[in-house]
Amino acid sequence: MRPRISAGIWIILALIVLFAVAALLAPWVSPHDPLRQSLLLRLRPPGSATASAGVFPLGTDDLGRDLLSRILYGARASFAVAILSVSVSLVVGTLLGLVAGWFRGWTATLIMRFVDAMLSVPAILLAVLTVAVLGPSFVTLILVLGFTRWPRYTRVAYASTLQVAALPFIAAAEMSGAGSGRILLRHVLPNIAGPLLVVATSEFGLMILFEAGLSFLGLGIQPPAPSWGSIMSAGRQYVERAWWLTVFPGLGLFTLVVCVNVLGDWLRDRLDPRSAGR
Amino acid sequence: MLLAPAPFVPALFAPALAVHDLNLLIDGAAVVDGVDFAVASGEVMALVGESGCGKSLTAHAIMRLLPDAVRQGRGRIELDGENLSALSERQMRRVRGRRISMIFQEPQAALDPLSTVGAQVAEATGLPRSQAREAVLRMLAEVGISDPARRIDQYPFELSGGMCQRVMIASALIARPAVLIADEPTTALDVTIQAQILDLLRRLAVERGTAIVLITHDMGVVADIADRVAVMYAGRIAETGDTAAIFAAPRHPYTALLLAALPRLTDVPRSRLAVIEGRVPAPAEFPPGCRFAGRCPLADDHCRAEVPPLRDVGSGHLSACWHSEAVR
Amino acid sequence: MSGPGHDALVVADLAVHYPARNGPPVRAVDGVSFALARNETLGLVGESGCGKSTVARAIVGLQPPTRGSVKVDGAEIVGASRAALRAARARMQMVFQDPVTSLNPRMTVGEAVGEPLLVRGIARGAALRERVAGLLTEAGLRPEDAGRYPHQFSGGQRQRIVIARALALRPALLVCDEPVSALDVSVRAQILNLLVDLQRAHGMACLFVSHDLAVVRHVCDRVAVMYLGRLAELAPRDALYAEPRHPYTRALLAAVPEPDPVVQRAKPRVPLVGEIPSPAHMPSGCRFHTRCPMTQAICRTVEPEWRQVGSSLVACHFAG
Ligand SMILES: Nc1ncnc2c1ncn2[C@@H]1O[C@H](COP(=O)(O)OP(=O)(O)OP(=O)(O)O)[C@@H](O)[C@H]1O
Ligand SMILES: Nc1ncnc2c1ncn2[C@@H]1O[C@H](COP(=O)(O)OP(=O)(O)O)[C@@H](O)[C@H]1O
Ligand code: SF4
Ligand code: SF4
Ligand SMILES: [Mg+2]
Ligand SMILES: [Mg+2]
Repeated sequence: MRPRISAGIWIILALIVLFAVAALLAPWVSPHDPLRQSLLLRLRPPGSATASAGVFPLGTDDLGRDLLSRILYGARASFAVAILSVSVSLVVGTLLGLVAGWFRGWTATLIMRFVDAMLSVPAILLAVLTVAVLGPSFVTLILVLGFTRWPRYTRVAYASTLQVAALPFIAAAEMSGAGSGRILLRHVLPNIAGPLLVVATSEFGLMILFEAGLSFLGLGIQPPAPSWGSIMSAGRQYVERAWWLTVFPGLGLFTLVVCVNVLGDWLRDRLDPRSAGR
Repeated sequence: MLLAPAPFVPALFAPALAVHDLNLLIDGAAVVDGVDFAVASGEVMALVGESGCGKSLTAHAIMRLLPDAVRQGRGRIELDGENLSALSERQMRRVRGRRISMIFQEPQAALDPLSTVGAQVAEATGLPRSQAREAVLRMLAEVGISDPARRIDQYPFELSGGMCQRVMIASALIARPAVLIADEPTTALDVTIQAQILDLLRRLAVERGTAIVLITHDMGVVADIADRVAVMYAGRIAETGDTAAIFAAPRHPYTALLLAALPRLTDVPRSRLAVIEGRVPAPAEFPPGCRFAGRCPLADDHCRAEVPPLRDVGSGHLSACWHSEAVR
Repeated sequence: MSGPGHDALVVADLAVHYPARNGPPVRAVDGVSFALARNETLGLVGESGCGKSTVARAIVGLQPPTRGSVKVDGAEIVGASRAALRAARARMQMVFQDPVTSLNPRMTVGEAVGEPLLVRGIARGAALRERVAGLLTEAGLRPEDAGRYPHQFSGGQRQRIVIARALALRPALLVCDEPVSALDVSVRAQILNLLVDLQRAHGMACLFVSHDLAVVRHVCDRVAVMYLGRLAELAPRDALYAEPRHPYTRALLAAVPEPDPVVQRAKPRVPLVGEIPSPAHMPSGCRFHTRCPMTQAICRTVEPEWRQVGSSLVACHFAG
């Protein structure tokens, strides 16, 4: 019997897919070029229309660029950063966790001490410092996020590996003559993928926020390229005159992060054998 | 010894506990279907069957402690002639632990780790502390706990599995319930400890007149202490009657095969054990007729089409099989 | 290395002590010796926690012992290098108690059964599939089952899969740790019949760990009775069951409930008092003296020697 997927989860999934598709298709669905400035069209409110340039559904920014187009392209940046940085930290963190959980002893002590140290420094602080030193760029951003966020995966991978490694089928694989590499990849990894996936979803939401935060501070995606953080950062000075510059990207950010986190919680519940109803 | 078959005559000896036509449903499938049995005071009645056949659910239904997924359909449960199904939840709470008690397979898990042995056993008495302590000490001694004065203030983790089971039995019996339901009380214990606990249960039935429903999957345990036995298969009673009669001449193919499948201390080593081919069907795939038909060597079309009723095959020995006379 | 003249298994003075965080170490196995000839099945019985599984795991090299020696087909396992251990494991295999956790839920039955052949480079591709089909058939499953996942099988069928995997390398020694304890009664007989048949067909040596004396009697040639990390008695099957020499063996036999009310209720009761002591706080002298109905003063101070009495080996001052 499969657990039923509730209507709420379908809505959440649909929203996430909608965001992803919009981001992917930004060049085709955007009404305007996100970079085209026009001094004549500065700070137009949502719904403004002009004979020459057409409609601006969400208004324009301080340089007269179409806000909707910028938000759509900004979603691209957010997704790209989140996916790539989550992938980097997932791979690095899982590998270290597997190795620590399998070999135990001093290897594990070394790795897990390092994890503790990393986790005791606020990640955003670490990221800010590194970017400030290395100079902001897309690649830096991803590497910085990827290499500051792996410890959470390591913790989960380590604990799950310890659990799985104690099961008889691992002993049976050893008896078969399988080496450590094969045991880790074929026997352990598939059986700890669930909890890691849950961490990855919650990190995904967090990475979107981190990107926005860093861009907001001017340390992320560099202008004029749009990103939700940089749009809000620029709109901050006009909060009173042009509320739409902060409200719309903020709303997008909020909705997406909430959706992804709800999905993560739901996945955690579903993958937890104790709640699987058997 | 003790084997003189006391023919069970429900009309004469009012049973302490009677279960009539109990039906329990999960997702529409009758996982317990038409279960009927009764236990008299001082009697040990064994409910035996393989894992998943519905023994524990039957026990929980008697206690009115069914899990949410399980719904009771037909059925009536009588305690000393009183219909338990008619009681409110509040009234039922007063019945549990006082007039009917239950003990479980994992004694360590069933006890509260954070309260002392004394406090847990005293809970069922409802007496003030000072009086309760006396009663608890006496009860602990009665279930064979050595040095009860020291044990009474200990916590469950300080006791072994066998001792925890004695504490469970003590707290189940201190209010002198008429009926004790023991769900696999010795499955988690070693044979030497199991023998001690079985001796204790038998003594309680004889000395206190407690009616005991003993749930087990072990035919050896049944042979050791049960006066009567009901063999369950896939949610139904296959065969029921006096222990001696059923072991001497089972009249249901399932019981007969089960007994032949057991390695014994008296068989020829390495001889082939009888096997029951296949496996117990899942509730969703219960066949329309006899639920054993898929594995039964005697099955025919009649068996597959129609449910065999429990029929008397001699002096209170009932078998639910169309071909019970063909079982030797 | 291997060849005739060796016993399939020789265990000498095996000890496994688990360090405890606080307090003395747990002496789970504390000086166990026995040998197992080719084609022989030895039963290892005892109550829970007496160290049976630890002995089994030490023999197959899954648990490094504190001291002692284990020779499988002449090859020393204790202290062996990774490569030597891997080579030795081609000659011995293990069947575990719980068939559910003995199989990787994310691997098909075919992959599981074929793994030993694949990782040792013995067969691959079509040849491997053919070997797997043969092994499954031998264990009473269908070749088509290779493509299915463990959760699609019942407990008994899963134990058949585990047995098929254990036989893939045609081991000289099969260690079975409570192979039928987790199974239902009606399925137990199928698996016991299968193990008896396969042991005969392949002439394997088999160490059969169990707490069930009736099962052990059914499948074993000799039986070792273990109590608190030591062997109490080691005897040929018929001698052990007809004439148990050690008081513990007697108590254990008396406690087995026979599935026959006439026999069972006529049986003399040998009640064992008290609980099993913890292996972290071993009693002095004879480790059974706290529960033994025959205890004398000497039992509390002097550990009994291993003695030959009739055809049995017994560790008791008063056995005879
Ligand atoms: N990894 C471990 N660390 C510490 N103590 C252990 C460990 N494994 C087993 N023990 C202890 O060693 C003793 C023997 O354990 P073992 O598992 O061999 O017993 P067993 O005879 O197989 O019992 P069972 O029938 O319960 O499986 C027990 O006291 C147990 O608690
Ligand atoms: N809480 C539950 N939810 C769903 N199914 C259950 C639940 N408890 C028991 N069952 C099912 O009911 C049947 C009988 O279970 P149970 O009475 O526990 O068997 P036994 O005690 O004989 O092992 C089995 O098919 C079991 O899977
Ligand atoms: S009714 Fe038929 S199928 Fe059922 S047990 Fe009897 S002979 Fe077998
Ligand atoms: S040596 Fe003494 S205590 Fe030990 S088994 Fe023999 S009689 Fe009992
Ligand atoms: Mg049960
Ligand atoms: Mg064990």
